[in-house]
Amino acid sequence: MSQHDRTHHAKIATGKGDPQCFIGTADPAKFKVGDRVRIKNLPDIFYTRCQVYSRGAVGEVAVVTHESPAPEDEAWGHVDHSEWFYIVRFKQKDLWPEYPDDFPNDTLQTEFSERWLESV
Amino acid sequence: MSSTTREEILRHLTAVAELQPPVQKTGKAPYPTEITHELFRAYTRSPHDVGGEHDIPCEWSEEEHEAWGSRAYVTTECLAWRGVWCAEERRRMQNVDLGTTQYLGLPYYGRWLLSAARVLVDGHHVTLTELINKIDEVKNRHEPAR
Repeated sequence: MSQHDRTHHAKIATGKGDPQCFIGTADPAKFKVGDRVRIKNLPDIFYTRCQVYSRGAVGEVAVVTHESPAPEDEAWGHVDHSEWFYIVRFKQKDLWPEYPDDFPNDTLQTEFSERWLESV
Repeated sequence: MSSTTREEILRHLTAVAELQPPVQKTGKAPYPTEITHELFRAYTRSPHDVGGEHDIPCEWSEEEHEAWGSRAYVTTECLAWRGVWCAEERRRMQNVDLGTTQYLGLPYYGRWLLSAARVLVDGHHVTLTELINKIDEVKNRHEPAR
């Protein structure tokens, strides 16, 4: 039937992999390992991979991972703009008020694109 | 149309009524003043963002491998190779666009299959008419009595 776009994502990633195909496409990373960051509470209609339980919580950058289009863009095939991704580490107690005091060192790590983070 | 079809349709309407999530306390198409910001966000959130939701403990069970699941997976990968979608578009269609009821109610690879059909229609690769006719043709092949 109709012709679809052959220059789509699959072509960009062929022979390189994803997210390797986006190396060098983002502006310099705004945060580094050890930085304290707060997760923004941006609107979350239609699509996001920013887990709702993390919003407003403060954590520490554990790993600066890779460059890629943000999920909110890539979910509609927009791959022209990339940003850095970070693994952020939270204290469980900071996420779940009812978390038992017996385990104060328990942490949780999850990943965010740069737009979701602000300096504390 | 046979009476069997009518019975099937009436059973279907009962089944749909039983699926209505309890959150719909305001009834159908409420006045805007009945929808607070909090309620709006609860309605419009991504259904796959389940972390932190109130729930009962899950019982762990190992799912048995089924060939149709692998075929569903390979089908969606082929669609990516041909540039029909990328992984993030697939996740949106199979985890979010179908809504909470289908997300929680359908088997894992059932959602993969459903999203593959959806992207082919949305992307104008097949028409919904072609898809409906094909499903009907295959159904009749397996249940010629209908």
